[in-house]
Amino acid sequence: MQFKEILRLSAESLLSQKLRTALTILGMVIGVGAIVLLVSLGQGAKNYVTSEFEGLGTNLIIVQPGKSDKKTHMGPPVGAAQRKMTTADVMAIEKRSLNLEAVSGLVLGTVSVRFEDALSNITVFGTNEQFPSILTVRVGQGDYFTREEDEYGRRVVVLGQNVVKELFGEADPIGQTVKLNESEFKIVGVLAPMGNKLGLDFDELGFIPTEAALQLFNDDKLFGIRAKASSRVSIDDAVAEITEILKERRDGEEDFTVMTQISMMASMNTILNMLTYVLGAIAAISMIVGGIGIMNIMWVTVVERTQEIGIRRAVGARRIDILKQLLAEAVALSVLGGLVGVGGAVVITYGLYISFPSFDMRAPIWIVIPAFLLACVVGVIFGVGPAWRASRIEILDALRYE
Amino acid sequence: MECESNLFADNRMTLISIDQLHKVFRRGDEEIHAIRAMDLSIDPGEFIAITGTSGSGKSTLLYILGLLDKPSSGRYILQGSPVENLSDSERAHLRNKFMGFVFQSFHLLPRATALRNVMMPLVYAATYDTPIPEDEQRRRATEALTIVGLADRLNHRPNELSGGQRQRVAIARAIVNNPKLLFADEPTGNLDSKSGKEILALFERLNKEGVTIIMVSHDPSIAERAKRKLVLRDGELVEDSHAV
Repeated sequence: MQFKEILRLSAESLLSQKLRTALTILGMVIGVGAIVLLVSLGQGAKNYVTSEFEGLGTNLIIVQPGKSDKKTHMGPPVGAAQRKMTTADVMAIEKRSLNLEAVSGLVLGTVSVRFEDALSNITVFGTNEQFPSILTVRVGQGDYFTREEDEYGRRVVVLGQNVVKELFGEADPIGQTVKLNESEFKIVGVLAPMGNKLGLDFDELGFIPTEAALQLFNDDKLFGIRAKASSRVSIDDAVAEITEILKERRDGEEDFTVMTQISMMASMNTILNMLTYVLGAIAAISMIVGGIGIMNIMWVTVVERTQEIGIRRAVGARRIDILKQLLAEAVALSVLGGLVGVGGAVVITYGLYISFPSFDMRAPIWIVIPAFLLACVVGVIFGVGPAWRASRIEILDALRYE
Repeated sequence: MECESNLFADNRMTLISIDQLHKVFRRGDEEIHAIRAMDLSIDPGEFIAITGTSGSGKSTLLYILGLLDKPSSGRYILQGSPVENLSDSERAHLRNKFMGFVFQSFHLLPRATALRNVMMPLVYAATYDTPIPEDEQRRRATEALTIVGLADRLNHRPNELSGGQRQRVAIARAIVNNPKLLFADEPTGNLDSKSGKEILALFERLNKEGVTIIMVSHDPSIAERAKRKLVLRDGELVEDSHAV
């Protein structure tokens, strides 16, 4: 029998029972749609995290006290260090390294900030003057503090957009004095609007010199060190350099961890890819359910059309012709379901991308095509049983079937 | 393929010859002998009625001759070639090319129009030979329906036709591929007597044009219309109007 004729018969049969056809393909639509949607969601999360990481700055190197397991790059448990990390370490790195563009210590703390009657609580970063080039911090008004101000631990502060708005409203804050906890700081700069980066709202931050921060928090150790390699190719050399310098200062002991933005992104991607695959695999189960729905309907079809099968065989259809005809129907069902499912999922993901451009979950082509092909394969696998059974019915039994 | 080349040859040799044919059904522990040690030979151009009481084996014989069923033992030679060892596909090919079937309950596809029903054998003919273009299929199906007097009912579905008309669609389907043999199983059984007569007249006309007809009927008055009458009882041939 010709392919065209098989197609015509399938179309005729499926159209003759429109509601049943629609309900049967619904299972497949949901299965295929779920695969494409969930994998797109995983990809969207990955795209989001990647762009956030890249927005932090490029060629970033992170040094944290404490030693983590070599296999992961997610850093050590906070506060697990044996030895303090100090500004002397930062100075040593700055003096001796050849592959760094910038390096800064980092001190973290939460303080209350007060101007006249206005009061707010903010997170404060203690850094040196090089920090803005490491983490891409942009100053909108005034300036970041200078090297001199850092070295002498001057009480100067650069505040985020929202903090300033809250304390000063529309008034000019530059040169004004605010109280961080009980110490007075002079405002030298205000950040440009920067928004959220990896869950950290830069508009709600304050930046002060490292020494001033250590005094403010009554501490003598750094939270960590941040550095920027001079270029992408020099990152590995820079990491080696920093490691060597710090080890030397610690009698050869490596009780700190040096990570790069790239290695952190790589491990993040590994996790998010795994998440994507797991989501896809879970969705694939629903596709199997869709396949079972098709098989179920095909069994019903075979029973309903037993007499037709007998008639066709009597006028000259071979067993293989019957097999082909019924298999074609099952595949037509799954292909139809696959098309609608993939199409629907693609439309949904593009619609979401248009509504939320920062979360790019547009369905990647590498899942769209396999999901559709998988639907076709499922149709064959679940259709072959009923079709085979139909082709084995004896002609007379089929003709006499009522 | 040798047997096929014989079957394609159009000579005056015996069309059908069966020798010691047996058909045994098993129902539980019981063995039912539907046909016992039957010998029979049929020439081209005959019009045969097989008659007998219910359970005499007449339909079983018809289906075996029509390659819809297989004998338990014995020989069946069709146009000089044995058919016992033919594959399922080869038997389907013979049914398609050389045989037409008319059943008591018509056996039309309910969803298809008269034209589509009649075109069906031509669709499967494409499996064995070069495909017949759809226009040609339509032309031949229309011609067959015209022969049976239904030229004005081409696009009617079976449920829009009377019993007699349905049986005539079935006959058009049986003759659309110009078969040598037409098998009919109680073709008038579900029809009123007027329609029954029309069907028989149609058979007589086809027989005059050279189609060999083998018809099963339990009704003696209908069987009388055939040129040769076979009477079966308990699976045995008890009367043959041609027997010498």
